[in-house]
Amino acid sequence: MRVVIVGNGVAGIEAALALRAREPGATITIVSEESDHFFSRTALMWIHSGQLRHEETEPYERDLYARERFERVRARAVGLDPEAHTVRLAGGLAPLPYDRLLVACGSRPRPTPWPGAELRGVGHFVTHQDLAWLEREVWGGPSRGGSPPRPDAHLAATDERSPYRPRPDGHAARGGPPRHPVVIGGGLVGIEAVEVLLAAKLTPRFLVREEWFWPLALDRAEADWITGRLRAHGVLVHLGEHVEALEGEGTLARVRTDRASYDADVCVVAIGVVPNTDWIGDALARDAGGGVLVGPGLETSAEDVFAAGDCASVRWFHGARMPEPLWYTARAQGRVAGRRLAGDRADYARGVFYNSSKLADVEHTTVGLVSMNVEGERNWRFEERGAVRSTLRVVLAGERVVGMNALGRRWDHAVWIRWIEERRSLAYVLSHLAEASFDTELVPPLVVPRDAREAPPEGPAPSVIDAPLPAPEA
Amino acid sequence: MDLQGQDGLLTTWREGWRARGVAGWLVAALLTGFYVDLYFTDHLEPAARALGLPSKWMLYGAIYSVAMVGGAIYYLRAHGNGRYHRVRVGVNVAVQIALAFLLPLVMPWFGGEEFYFSYLWPLDWYKLHPATLASLPVHLALYSLLGSLIAAPLLAWRFGKRWYCSWVCGCGGLANTFGDPWRHLTSKRAAAWRFERVAVHTVMVLAILSTALLALDHVVGERHETLRLVVASAEPWSIKRLYGLVVGAVLAGVVGVGVYPLFGPRVWCRNFCPMAAVLGLAQKLGRFRIRVKPDMCISCGNCSTYCEMGIDVRAYAQRNESFTRAACVGCGMCAHVCPRGVLRLENAPPDERVRLPLAR
Repeated sequence: MRVVIVGNGVAGIEAALALRAREPGATITIVSEESDHFFSRTALMWIHSGQLRHEETEPYERDLYARERFERVRARAVGLDPEAHTVRLAGGLAPLPYDRLLVACGSRPRPTPWPGAELRGVGHFVTHQDLAWLEREVWGGPSRGGSPPRPDAHLAATDERSPYRPRPDGHAARGGPPRHPVVIGGGLVGIEAVEVLLAAKLTPRFLVREEWFWPLALDRAEADWITGRLRAHGVLVHLGEHVEALEGEGTLARVRTDRASYDADVCVVAIGVVPNTDWIGDALARDAGGGVLVGPGLETSAEDVFAAGDCASVRWFHGARMPEPLWYTARAQGRVAGRRLAGDRADYARGVFYNSSKLADVEHTTVGLVSMNVEGERNWRFEERGAVRSTLRVVLAGERVVGMNALGRRWDHAVWIRWIEERRSLAYVLSHLAEASFDTELVPPLVVPRDAREAPPEGPAPSVIDAPLPAPEA
Repeated sequence: MDLQGQDGLLTTWREGWRARGVAGWLVAALLTGFYVDLYFTDHLEPAARALGLPSKWMLYGAIYSVAMVGGAIYYLRAHGNGRYHRVRVGVNVAVQIALAFLLPLVMPWFGGEEFYFSYLWPLDWYKLHPATLASLPVHLALYSLLGSLIAAPLLAWRFGKRWYCSWVCGCGGLANTFGDPWRHLTSKRAAAWRFERVAVHTVMVLAILSTALLALDHVVGERHETLRLVVASAEPWSIKRLYGLVVGAVLAGVVGVGVYPLFGPRVWCRNFCPMAAVLGLAQKLGRFRIRVKPDMCISCGNCSTYCEMGIDVRAYAQRNESFTRAACVGCGMCAHVCPRGVLRLENAPPDERVRLPLAR
């Protein structure tokens, strides 16, 4: 059996491993433009600062491909012919025939929508090639940890639409690091870009379109804490400001917004990611955002073709179909896809939503329905400012706890998931908080005073979701 | 204000002296030279006398303490936002200064023994020599015996070997302070782990066997000339002299500290320390563990990279396996650098111990 996997990320590799465990004899070919080795994309920021080397961000040792007999092709997939069961490659390479195909090609940076995207000094922070560009802009090159092996191996087989093309930088022309770095976009990649600039002792300007940082996940008070931390580190945070143009003669010189025009020599555009699926064209049914529509078993509209990870548009618990751009969901989808590639029956079942992140130096945990505009939603809030600073928000639908959002402390999401599934009340949860604590030893435990515990929850939190979500059963 | 995780990003591989650059090699050469000089010459004796110290070893104790304080300041500037680090490093430095420097310095002024409370057998291999025990007042001899054979393993069973290796021990203390800038250089390769297991348990067996032979010699050596000659004589090839030279001077000192900037600060602790081996076995049977939150790991690699003992923590974290490794000294750095709060050091409640998948 010939299996082709387009994508060398977590979904693709987990699928390949699951398939190999089931089918020792299958021919497995992994097509990747970006890199020889599977790496943790979430770790780009630490490579940039010098905290990690490339090899250390690779979850498996480099002999994985030889050991598991995964063939690798460093090339861009440019087309898919479901009738002929082939994947077309750039660079004049022969089309790859498959018996079963997995599309796991992930995301690409959302394109810059303003004039000036092509200026030298403008880039993103999503791919290895973006990382190399920003390393050159800021530090003049990679750290002593070096570059990944064969960083340019794909250049003979790519095209101009690829997000993995090297970008020229202005470090040499400038004679040093940027003096006026700008980051556009108030999400996770944006805040990572801000952090790497801070690590290089630069003072970034952080342009956020929304009224507060990351309204998808935080309410205003929570976000204010984060932006306050950034400002304390010297970041010039601008909220509610809309970029209109990137300006300069060949090289970036200014960023113009609806309020002012700022000097700028390097600009990281971090306004989200989109499925990296334009090469598929009409060969597979896709959603409005470009995600490959998949059924419960990750099957696509074409026979023998599956999709997993950031590029797959799955059905969410609230019924909408969109990608789940998370590490652990991509891994879980990859495992299901691997079983499907082996011919087994398997479905991707998503439980209660959860995620964690780190916002500057503040840790964030979220579980369940938070800022989702749930019908009849109420929010119980507690802010702790003592030896530890933390916030805890418990989301209720009626009397039932349906979500939590926390900053500062560490929580075991598995316990919160259990509480949500057990339809616990606020009083129950608040009197059992210690069970869900994952704080480091010696950190004083969270104590919620009685009056705070008995304070009535407030109304719904602001949400970016317009249509109210039906409340889960009580 | 306490923050549990890392505050700001490290620039480790952009600092040449921390990245096996020329400066790193130079520091390694200097450290190695210092230890060769310390152990095999008496160059430092006049300096010690000039400072009013009784011996070069006391001068070494002073330098050691200063290096630990300097390293602790460096460490806490980077990681001091974590309470565990503040308390642990504070205790470790205080133990070094009080028990491994000041007390041995001043005790003889009052007619007491120069006794090091913070070093126990088999790390302090001489502590259970019959000759040593016989020369000590009874309470100190009892302290050495009970502390080494009962209290230390028992505490490791209850709290993990960290109680000693990263809260009390001077070797661990120096590694965690002065040696901290190089912690990422400890090898994470499977081959390094195989070497560790063979080497550290070999030294442990040698330490126990040699001590037993010395005890035997103490009892029957008068009547067995060959035994005395081989075990306890002043010949350079006697077991007593050889162990002292190879393990005490070369492995613990010259190699142990000399290669900090090349192979990380725990080369001695990980591969050669017999005490670490004994306590590691107690730890494997005991309550200490690193708990892993299910399906939250993003495989970034920070935990493994910054493990000074070369444990591939990520391999467990991304498999959702809580684990106990004999080598782990409980420094807490994996949990600290984890950007998703996935790891937690803890002494598991007794009823949860059996459910632990004890890693290989």
